[in-house]
Amino acid sequence: MSWVLHRIDDRLIHGQVVVAWGQRLNPQRIWVVDDASASGAWERELLSSSAPGIDVRVVTVTDAAREHAAEQSASGGAFLLVRDLGTALALVTAGARITAFNVGGLHYAPGKDKVHEFVYLDAADRAAARALLARGVALNVQDVPASRPVALETLDRSVLPESAEPAP
Amino acid sequence: MARIPALIVSHADLAGALVRAAASVYGPIEDVECLSNEGFSRPALESEIERRVSGWPHGGIVFIDFWGGSCFTCGVSAARGREVVVLTGINLPTLLDYLHNRDGYSVVELAERLRQKGQESFRLQRSPAA
Repeated sequence: MSWVLHRIDDRLIHGQVVVAWGQRLNPQRIWVVDDASASGAWERELLSSSAPGIDVRVVTVTDAAREHAAEQSASGGAFLLVRDLGTALALVTAGARITAFNVGGLHYAPGKDKVHEFVYLDAADRAAARALLARGVALNVQDVPASRPVALETLDRSVLPESAEPAP
Repeated sequence: MARIPALIVSHADLAGALVRAAASVYGPIEDVECLSNEGFSRPALESEIERRVSGWPHGGIVFIDFWGGSCFTCGVSAARGREVVVLTGINLPTLLDYLHNRDGYSVVELAERLRQKGQESFRLQRSPAA
């Protein structure tokens, strides 16, 4: 069973993940793939305490890419969380075989513009999204299971890979 | 004893609604701030909480709607290294008890009292068997 959700969300573990997706998919493990969080014991402990009853593993991109295939065949369901599109691309580039990401929340920050209620992108985000789509990785915007998923490229056509651009 | 300040951090507009509900029972309320997590990234929410609690010279209480949400992780991060206690599971009885007792306890003593009051606020009343 293992991977039941790969999610891009700048809040990492939070209510939508633990309550909405957690109640629906009942994961036994949550992998938080974030180099900054993995480097600090305090941050690792905070994230682990945020999901009572679930085994939370806070790891680097390198470690996640190495262990992704083995987790695929583990028993029980697992979530994988990254905080941004750049990390998602780094993980795929490092060898993790991921076919789709749920884009759950990329909130406003200076320099980013709105493409959806809870998705804001800048040039670096768009470049990462374009690279992921070019590799065949689907990007589905959806905050909670009860919402309808929408392909990111239908909200912002600038993330389409050049070869997929429609003729003028 | 100095008044203990409070900040309520919640999803959507729960914090503001709780304060309005409490005011209808308690009367006009001062020195309680509200913050919704709507639209905030995690770093931005943490900064906003930190900005508010940094003005508390003798500490205070950050009330959070539930354990494990972004309000919780950001509240805990902002409280780190300060005389600030994070209390999750805020409800109307807890807020009312805070308002009645915020001038008579230390921060830690009041937070512990409120944790107990919150737990005691859940009661089950079953109808007699027909």
